[in-house]
Amino acid sequence: MTDSFRWFDRFAVRGVLWRHYLDFGLTNVPFYLRPMTIFFWTIFFFFFAAAARRTIVRNLSVVLPGSSSLLNQARAWLTMYNFAWTISDAADYKLAKTEFAYEVEGEKFLEQLAAARGAILLTAHMGSYDLGAAVFAQRFAREIRMVRAPEADVRTAQHLDQSLERAGAGAVKVAYNTASMALPLELLNAIRGGEIVSIQGDRPVPNASQRTARLFSEVVSLPDGPFMLAIVSGAPIFPLFIVRKSFHRYRIIAREPIWCQRVERDREAIIERAMQTWCQTLEEVIAAHWSQWFSLVPIFP
Amino acid sequence: MVFAGSYFPVSRGQEPELGYAFALPRLVARLAGRKVRRAEFSRLEAYGVCLLVFGMSNLFVARALLPLLGSLVLQWLVVFLLPFAMWAAFLLLYYLVSLVIAVFRRLGFYRATTNNSFQHIVIMTLTTLLALALVRDECDGVKSLGFLWLGLLALNLLAIAILGMFLKE
Repeated sequence: MTDSFRWFDRFAVRGVLWRHYLDFGLTNVPFYLRPMTIFFWTIFFFFFAAAARRTIVRNLSVVLPGSSSLLNQARAWLTMYNFAWTISDAADYKLAKTEFAYEVEGEKFLEQLAAARGAILLTAHMGSYDLGAAVFAQRFAREIRMVRAPEADVRTAQHLDQSLERAGAGAVKVAYNTASMALPLELLNAIRGGEIVSIQGDRPVPNASQRTARLFSEVVSLPDGPFMLAIVSGAPIFPLFIVRKSFHRYRIIAREPIWCQRVERDREAIIERAMQTWCQTLEEVIAAHWSQWFSLVPIFP
Repeated sequence: MVFAGSYFPVSRGQEPELGYAFALPRLVARLAGRKVRRAEFSRLEAYGVCLLVFGMSNLFVARALLPLLGSLVLQWLVVFLLPFAMWAAFLLLYYLVSLVIAVFRRLGFYRATTNNSFQHIVIMTLTTLLALALVRDECDGVKSLGFLWLGLLALNLLAIAILGMFLKE
């Protein structure tokens, strides 16, 4: 994240202008005209956000092996369309407290998470994780500490922080994943204090701890921080995803918790096994919902 | 699982919760014995009304513009570009209406959290005016689209009255 700011930075793809414009749109466009508005804005960003589009196409070529590159361009558009909907819905919830309908897959795991005293919620850049965290925190009256990768634009970061804290009515706190040593200790204390720490585990953050794993038969680097936290704290890791089903409807997918208890001496083996389990879960969910994997930064070689 | 609050997630496979923003589908659902409430959950409602409003706007401009263009290539070019131009026109409309709302807010005439309800009234009024223009068109297809809108509008107003007076929504 950089503090230097040039006047034209606000127009960059990740600039704060688009976030402000999104807020304007959601407070001025009636719900029934949003499909058309989002449709055309997606066409605009399909060309404007070329780097993100190329990354999505690359991801798709790995997730759907043998797929044609032309078809993947169309799939990339669909992915960007879903992305537009999910960030719109999250902003809609923040600004107007609009209701969304949810269905749950893996209800008993979600109940375990809600009842857990200190847990790690491991998720991915899928569906509406911002909206999901805010709704979960409010409905279960739990505090969530959400770890995010730093935003490229400092004003966008400020806007996102405010949005998340406003949407979660103070129950969602944002922490940035940087090289700082203070964050792991802060997260450990939060877990020991009974809080839920939410981490996105589908792509590494520069300078943060990571190790190699296999995802869709490719060697990738993924963050190992959640697993180290789980070993030290003894807290379970709950894989949880929130995917968009249709207009204002979401599906919460909760999977069996991953335990990293030190029952054996080899800490490395425990972490590797846990990461392997996480990668399998991630593969299953991404393969079923490839149009909602919003990993806009390259992870595959 | 019970969630505090007015809505809750249902398990996968259970019947999804019904919610409509417009009175007409709510009334139809209630007459069919379904449990329904006022919420923006319906994809059919969102995409259906979107298609109608945007389609009618495009059709109206196309009917006015195309006869002025001689070349067939030019006509096709306009047909291709018109939706993009109409999208931009809608963006401009939202902005202009938001300026009017800002004045109303300053004068204390409008206090809602968002501008959506005011924008909704403006768009519904404009679309109804377009529908009134379309019903005078020579083409039966275009004319029926205008009548469809006017019919839906009348039924929706009737549904608002019935839900308010008899079903105590």
